[in-house]
Amino acid sequence: MDVVEHGGSAPAAARPAGLSFDGHGAARRVEGKGGVAVSTPASAGRGAVRADLEQVFRTAYPRVVAVAARVLGFRDGAEDVAQEVFLTFGRSSVPAGEALGWLSVAAAHTALNHLRSGRRRASREEAAGDGGGGVCPDVADAVVTLDERRRVRVALARLPRRQAVALVLRHSGLSYAEVAAALDLSVGSVGTVVRRAESALRKELNRHASSD
Amino acid sequence: MRHPTDGVLRRLLDEPVGVADADREHVAGCPVCLSGLAAARKDAQVAGAALGSGLSTELADVDVGWWRLSGAVGGEGRRRGTTAAPAHRWRAALRSPVVAAFGVVALLAGAGAAAAVDWLQIFRTEQIAPVTVTEADLVALPDLSAYGEVEVSADTNAHEVANADAAKKATGLSVPRVSELPRGVTGAPTFQVGDQMSAVFTFSAAKAERAAAAAGETLPPPPAGLDGSKFRLVAGPGLAAVWSEGRGVPALVVARAVAPTAYSSGIPFQTARDYLLSLPGVPDGLASQLRGFSGDGTTLPLPLPAEQVRSSAADVGGRPATVLTSRDGTMVAVVWVDDGIVTAVAGTLSTGEVLSVARGLR
Repeated sequence: MDVVEHGGSAPAAARPAGLSFDGHGAARRVEGKGGVAVSTPASAGRGAVRADLEQVFRTAYPRVVAVAARVLGFRDGAEDVAQEVFLTFGRSSVPAGEALGWLSVAAAHTALNHLRSGRRRASREEAAGDGGGGVCPDVADAVVTLDERRRVRVALARLPRRQAVALVLRHSGLSYAEVAAALDLSVGSVGTVVRRAESALRKELNRHASSD
Repeated sequence: MRHPTDGVLRRLLDEPVGVADADREHVAGCPVCLSGLAAARKDAQVAGAALGSGLSTELADVDVGWWRLSGAVGGEGRRRGTTAAPAHRWRAALRSPVVAAFGVVALLAGAGAAAAVDWLQIFRTEQIAPVTVTEADLVALPDLSAYGEVEVSADTNAHEVANADAAKKATGLSVPRVSELPRGVTGAPTFQVGDQMSAVFTFSAAKAERAAAAAGETLPPPPAGLDGSKFRLVAGPGLAAVWSEGRGVPALVVARAVAPTAYSSGIPFQTARDYLLSLPGVPDGLASQLRGFSGDGTTLPLPLPAEQVRSSAADVGGRPATVLTSRDGTMVAVVWVDDGIVTAVAGTLSTGEVLSVARGLR
């Protein structure tokens, strides 16, 4: 698995095409803020698409969308994130056995990057749709819901990146073993990271609620 | 015994069997740990509710997602989906903002039509013009179902056929033959065909009013006769020749289909069009672009996401054609209309190669 923790300095040559999922799927390596970067073993040549892409896509797409939706809070944007992630995956040589974990982490990072940049979120939220709802009959309710969702995203964006990713993966249904494998953690420490994230999220939410 | 860590308590909530027996036994009899467990449970519930709030529980549509991805990866653009997409994608596509933009105009772009008892053709595609759609436009644009009922009355039933003759027989269209394949594209193509598709849209003033209210706007009063009026959109049949090169995504696609036509049950179209384009939620810039094409009822606007695709003009066999290039440069397509038939050539190729294939079609 090519998920590496920064803080140390792995030689760049060992990660020739490390990706930070900066929201453009660009092959650009950025040291995450105390967090995790995802590196993509490069595959040869532009346009070379892995043969198992469709098979992996059909298995993993709902999960990848679910992860991104947990971060963004709405479905349409999550599907866009999933497309970005699979595009990158399609040109990578991530081993098939590690695909689901890699894709889940990549979806979480990409969606968190979108949150941080604020791209899409504001305008899409104001378009008042999560893609699964319908027309909300009560405008006041809709406004309250949007405001709550926005508070959650602000809080999520403030968490240390690794905690945020672990939290989102766990709440998207990944088992402790899967989260551990995806984030290169021991199974025993997944609970610790998730617990810290949940505690920090609650504090962030409370802090915002009291400062409103 | 020492107290288990917070992490162990947290896992106890989700995966109790993953926690050692000794820890479980300790927690069961330890007031400190039980209190920690309760706090962990509460935080977990808050986080679960916060992250899942407002999300649809419906699973993502894998077919639609895959169709979109194959387009992005392989150059099989979404505008060509009429032939390659399975039937239910057409339904899903009708809900997408891009197609809604297309739909509003294709349905309403006709010249003012006299009242007619029966379905009246009000739009026939004779040429295609790109319309720039920004991400902000897409965000703002309501889908067709916010204005009324969309009912798909005939699906494409897309499927593979054995060869070019079978594709011709199934669609009644002549199968374009590529005179010279670009470098790197070899072998024989597979052929896909799709039936004619048809959808009826019934405008509902009540639905449009609700959509406007949700956007915090007031619906302008609909013109007389619009509420309940029906519009029918027909497209296809179509066929596509696909060269896959064993990569899972097409290296080259040559597709042809009967271009969309629209019919009405009688409302004057200019009235309806102007009204729909003035509804809250349709961005002004987009509305004026769309209105600009709608005078003659023969130009099909092709909505292009400005952030992802560039368009330029070319000609194929004397016909004006639109060249589409993805911003990342991986996909090029050219599309043109001749006598009510739309033809597209797309692939993971250069613009020159795509145009060369298009101009060399026999």
